[in-house]
Amino acid sequence: MQGGNNDRARAGRGWLAVATFLAVLAARPLWAAPDDTARMDALERRLDASMKLIRELSQRVEQLQKQLAHQGIANSAGPSGASPNAGTAAAPSPDEQRISAVEQSVQQIALSTSDRAAASGLPLHGFADVDAGTHNPTFPNLKGADIGSMEFFLTPRLGDRTRALFELNFEVDSSGDVGVDLERAQIGYQLADSTTVWLGRFHTPYGFWNTAFHHGLQIATSLRRPAFLEFEDHGGIMPAHTVGAWLTSAQRIGDGRLTYDVYVGNNQRIRGGMLDMNSAGSAHGGAIVGGNLGWLFGGALDGLKVGVDALSSRIEDVDTTPTIVTRLRSYGTYLAYDTDRWEHIAEFHLFSNYGLQPAGATYHSHAGFVQLGYRMPDRFTLYTRYERTVLQQADNYFQALNTGGSYHREALGLRYDLDLASALKMELATTRFTDRTPMSYDEALLQYAIRF
Amino acid sequence: MGVLLLLCLPVAAVAASASSPLAALQLEAIPDAWRDDSGARFELHSLRGENVVVTMAYARCHRTCPLTLRRLQQLQRMFDERGVRGEFVVIGYDPQGDDVRAWHQYRLSHGLRRANWHFLWGNEAQVEQTASLLGLPFWRYDDHIMHEARILFFDTTGLAHEEPELVR
Repeated sequence: MQGGNNDRARAGRGWLAVATFLAVLAARPLWAAPDDTARMDALERRLDASMKLIRELSQRVEQLQKQLAHQGIANSAGPSGASPNAGTAAAPSPDEQRISAVEQSVQQIALSTSDRAAASGLPLHGFADVDAGTHNPTFPNLKGADIGSMEFFLTPRLGDRTRALFELNFEVDSSGDVGVDLERAQIGYQLADSTTVWLGRFHTPYGFWNTAFHHGLQIATSLRRPAFLEFEDHGGIMPAHTVGAWLTSAQRIGDGRLTYDVYVGNNQRIRGGMLDMNSAGSAHGGAIVGGNLGWLFGGALDGLKVGVDALSSRIEDVDTTPTIVTRLRSYGTYLAYDTDRWEHIAEFHLFSNYGLQPAGATYHSHAGFVQLGYRMPDRFTLYTRYERTVLQQADNYFQALNTGGSYHREALGLRYDLDLASALKMELATTRFTDRTPMSYDEALLQYAIRF
Repeated sequence: MGVLLLLCLPVAAVAASASSPLAALQLEAIPDAWRDDSGARFELHSLRGENVVVTMAYARCHRTCPLTLRRLQQLQRMFDERGVRGEFVVIGYDPQGDDVRAWHQYRLSHGLRRANWHFLWGNEAQVEQTASLLGLPFWRYDDHIMHEARILFFDTTGLAHEEPELVR
């Protein structure tokens, strides 16, 4: 009863957030229009003036370069007949230094002009998808047409080193109510070109899929994620989101790249039969810790990535009294081969969970998938995927999850890119549950996914 | 001899998405100093006086950029058939993900070894400014770069054209 009220209250808050958000979007041009017109005119005038100055300075640089060429003093260190683009190491002459100074001025003016244009507003981007089929791709007890999700993606630029990323998702739950979720909210500091430390809520960097593809379905070849890797509120059995700190890096070593991730965050809990990432904080101070180590090949194996990952979290099942606590431990390995022609992904996770409260035995389970994709020259991509989980039902962790039963699924799909920003996907799949309630069902699904 | 031959772009994905007007864009308006895939300094403005075909791409793009690169190869064949000299310039969207070595590998693995093809690397500010000038807006979705597809042609006077108008 209380759960129902909570659901209604959450749905109500969701609708209120949607209405508020849409009202803000709709209202913005009305009150902003007159000011914006004048401001845009002023900006355009300043831009024109800057561009004029850039052209004048460019012409001046050209004149100086021609003068130098005539005087025969230009670039005396270069070999005879060398390309103008061959780098040289000779000390610059005073004239060259003057040219260099003018060039830098031109570039600075141009960049500041560009910065002003960028600073005039934060572009709004996002993704959306709608589906139809013999089953809802997420909630198989439903069929027909459904709204998948619509999400807004914001990456405001906050300076040279500070990064931010927000992903606001609107989606329909199994009861048809629209829910709003801040799927990702990360603020990060770029320690080096390829190393960033993030704080906030992020996609847990286990395996390959969870950080290669996110909520926007238009970027993924397939129509949906592997079921066991679904997001928590879609029945995923792994903690797809973590709230905490994440260090991520990619270092070039020879022709390849070493990628690594280390993270620590709030432990997850199980509430209502689903994983919850404790976005507001952990009640008992438990933590998830994990890491991912990958190698991206170069040379003849360009496009191939292999890696391993591990995580450990203290999972509290708050649906039970007293609370059951399980140590979730996952060890994974993955392989991805991504080229202009092929997209192959395989991921495997071994679970070794044991009871903390009450103390219990260790149970071993596993889950994995293999997806093979072929990109045809004419904007079609054909893919096939096999997923399988074998989850010990005596393990309190899987027992507590609504979707903690074992299954296997075979799928065959076709993606067609209508244009750069939209794709049609079709998938035929058969799913068989193998332990809790042995049953199977077949699906024919269609999805229209866009980005904007 | 000064006769302009308009070659249509049959690849809809390449041309249809172009959105920004060129407004008499000159080659000199684009930042000059880059690195090519050998790591050497490359001065884009030194190509003035040549027919220059310019686009932007990123090496990990396997859906849109291959179409664009394929179109560039078609254009190269057309240039060859007409005996027209041309320089082909591909500017990287992603300075962090696609360093000089990544472009070198890309070039080798795609068989794009001709000396008149230049894969350029620059810093983020340069790339953003160039993308803005070329009418190729882009945004990042983690490791993915959401971008348009467009090919520009700069004639021997350095003036940009939306579709390649080749001097024969």
